[in-house]
Amino acid sequence: MEIEKHIKTVTTAPVAVESNLSKPKSIWKKIVQQKTLIFMSFPFLIWLFIFKYLPLWGWTIAFQDYRPGLPFSEQEWVGWKHFRFLFQDEAFFRVLRNTLAMSIINLVLGFVTAITLAILLNELRNGKFKRIVQTISYMPHFLSWVVAASIISYALSLENGIVNIVLQKLNVIDEPILWLGVGEYFWGIIGVSEVWKNLGWNTIIYLAAIAMIDPEQYEAAEIDGASRLQRIFYITLPSLKPTIVILLIMNLGNILETGFEPQYLLGNPMNLDYSENLDIFVLKYGIAMGNFALATAAGIFKTVVSFIFLFSANYIAKRLGQARLF
Amino acid sequence: MCNGQLMIKGGRGVRTARKKTWGIVFLCLMMIVALAGCKESASVDNKGNPSAADDKKPFTFTYFNAGTSKKNIEANQTKIGKIFEEQTGVNVKMEFLVGDINTKIGTMIASGQYPDVLVPDIAIDKVLDAKAFIPLNDLIDKHAPNLKKLYGPYLEQLKAKDGNIYFLPFGVNHGYIPNPDIDQGAFWIQRRVLKESGYPKIKTLDEYFDLIAKYKEKHPETDGKPTIGFTALTYDWRFFVISNPPAHLAGYPNDGEVIVDMKTHEAKVYGNGEYTKRWLKKLNEINAAGLFDKEAFVANYDEYLAKIASGRVLGFFDYGWQVNQALNSLLQAGNDDLRYMPLPIVFDKNIKDQYIDPPSFASNRGIGITVSAKDPVRIIKYFDNMAKEENQKLMTWGIKGETYEVDEKGRFYRTPEQIKKTSDEQFREQFGFSYFEWYWPRGNGLFSDGNAWEPRRQPEVAQASYTEGDKQILAAYGAKVFSDLFAKPDERPWYPAWSAPIKQGSPAQIYQQKKQDLQRKYFPKLVLDPPSKFDKNWKEYVKEYNKLDIKAFEDEITKYVKMKVEQSKK
Repeated sequence: MEIEKHIKTVTTAPVAVESNLSKPKSIWKKIVQQKTLIFMSFPFLIWLFIFKYLPLWGWTIAFQDYRPGLPFSEQEWVGWKHFRFLFQDEAFFRVLRNTLAMSIINLVLGFVTAITLAILLNELRNGKFKRIVQTISYMPHFLSWVVAASIISYALSLENGIVNIVLQKLNVIDEPILWLGVGEYFWGIIGVSEVWKNLGWNTIIYLAAIAMIDPEQYEAAEIDGASRLQRIFYITLPSLKPTIVILLIMNLGNILETGFEPQYLLGNPMNLDYSENLDIFVLKYGIAMGNFALATAAGIFKTVVSFIFLFSANYIAKRLGQARLF
Repeated sequence: MCNGQLMIKGGRGVRTARKKTWGIVFLCLMMIVALAGCKESASVDNKGNPSAADDKKPFTFTYFNAGTSKKNIEANQTKIGKIFEEQTGVNVKMEFLVGDINTKIGTMIASGQYPDVLVPDIAIDKVLDAKAFIPLNDLIDKHAPNLKKLYGPYLEQLKAKDGNIYFLPFGVNHGYIPNPDIDQGAFWIQRRVLKESGYPKIKTLDEYFDLIAKYKEKHPETDGKPTIGFTALTYDWRFFVISNPPAHLAGYPNDGEVIVDMKTHEAKVYGNGEYTKRWLKKLNEINAAGLFDKEAFVANYDEYLAKIASGRVLGFFDYGWQVNQALNSLLQAGNDDLRYMPLPIVFDKNIKDQYIDPPSFASNRGIGITVSAKDPVRIIKYFDNMAKEENQKLMTWGIKGETYEVDEKGRFYRTPEQIKKTSDEQFREQFGFSYFEWYWPRGNGLFSDGNAWEPRRQPEVAQASYTEGDKQILAAYGAKVFSDLFAKPDERPWYPAWSAPIKQGSPAQIYQQKKQDLQRKYFPKLVLDPPSKFDKNWKEYVKEYNKLDIKAFEDEITKYVKMKVEQSKK
């Protein structure tokens, strides 16, 4: 908090000075004054334009029966045909449901586990143990999904899978379960896999935020007789709130991006109904069939949804007086 | 930002001049880079003047093959390529696919820059759509007598709707000889199962599974792990391995998703029909009896191969080319009992099997010269030189005395050492077999002297590579080579119907994708649920199936089949 205030005073002061100076001068004068800066920003603006705005032109593909290689003027315009195909397809809604479900599961699980682990790690006094736990927990993040999926499917297999063996030894189940063969389990499997893979990594940012908290606050609380749990609830968590809210807003913008690899690699005919997500659908009916128009239409749909989520989350944060993205 | 502005303002008098110069220099550099980039991509059109007269002048063209992944190489670094260079003065810079084929070809099309010669494999429709191939008719007429001879009777068939030939397919038929070893579909059974029952002659699906059931009962474990009665490959696009058997069992070859009537030439899908029902019902039965691999619908391709290579599996249906890897590792392990025997299993005793591919000529893949080619004449002449019979022999058999021998009757054969040498991947690369035996203008079948075009199809070569165990089991069934057990294929001029070009994004193509999705969803239920539920599941599946646009697909294939039949009459 202290630091934030400090930054504020630093940033606001010069603005005031500058506005006083430049008020009577015209905008041209200002431009001339800042021409070096403006020149310096040109390359980046050009870059931004070429790589972020020009590709938007490609969205026109969604409204054509696009055929690669033909000039723009010879493409056939079909209006909303590809969007209609998407929204009239039964499979599309199933796929959308799976995407949203897995996304939300990942979001909630990811936040809860990462924050919990960060707080627990912070409470540890033994620095060596803390480092070991942290290292082990973020190692899986560096595994590629291809490797991770093999490990997961092996762990869940019928004969040698450690999950079945352990559960049988504990008498939780009598017969080994074909985990990847039951569609209903798939979301859970993906959720747990994501946690296993990314927990340590997600924790880092919270640990950094916790490290910013002024130790004096804890000392004061301790003197006032606050217990360990009370310190967590009344100091650590409230201090983490801005970080949490910002991360939540950013993640809500990606709500339709569940990732593609785990679902593709762990999906099989038996869990198809629950494993197929939007990206796999686009791959199958768009790119694999050479139907780039459909793939683009789905991409536009995704962007629009992400926009809505991002802006509403930001708006809500603003109304609640929380930290926000813009 | 604000801080920065102030800082510069402060130091203005001292530093502005130098800053300005640098800023401008930087900007100019940016402009130059940007302009250079534009210029390069603008100059697409670079057709040079074809040189006709001076034929042996050194000339190199580029070749891109999207059909396979290999080390990039210059042709004259291989023995075959060197010989071709001596004959024509032409060298080839060969490049192969890395990554995704559609992306790669898509990028080429988008940029309009192609290699001189292109093998687009499955992406050929896109290349044709983009008009990236030049017509070959005149070039062949004027410069390529040997090519004309090689493709002779098929030249008419190769013409696109506008009458032009845009690409040359591989393996144009000259006579027919089946592969002595089964690289196509078959029901495979482990040799120990046959051995224990004294090599019975089995023909029907029921007999096949009875034999497996009997064996599994006696030997529930292999190497301390449960024996698996029957497994199946269901992973990703390879799903057809479990959806194709009904047609084979009913006595039809692999025409893909349809059965083509021999008389009316109508193509009919069978995914919702009696044959499929009968096949799945049988799988459902054997699953209830504990013979079916429970993990079959979950395992990926590697896990499936590993399972077969472990020797725990008693039987499976697959196409030889897909399981070769596993079969080879069993061969190398040296235990003959754990190896597999391919059998032509059918539903009923009176059905004639059609597992072996009829003479086929897939004309939906090929090699073409692109609009970027600098000297199409030299290229077509290179192709033409390649089309000579002695050079075709060089591409498949190699050099006499080095990679093959000829006996007194003029039959080609390979000594055991030569077989070993020519199956070594490193040697194949150095010699050039890997680069030249396919994906170039090429024939198939029999040479004019009666030898097989491909060594592996020559019975002498196949027999020389058999192990003692192979000879023993073949003798037990009174056969010389494995294909002797299979019926001779009937003539099907349209074969394979799956090579029918289907337009991207068309209803027929969407049917194919939806059908696969539907089957991937329902097959596990149909096979793994208790038998009492089978009929209910089947009804539900057929109901869903009939909602698909079956007719669009059938019409498309029928049209293709009829066109092929017409062409063959010419």
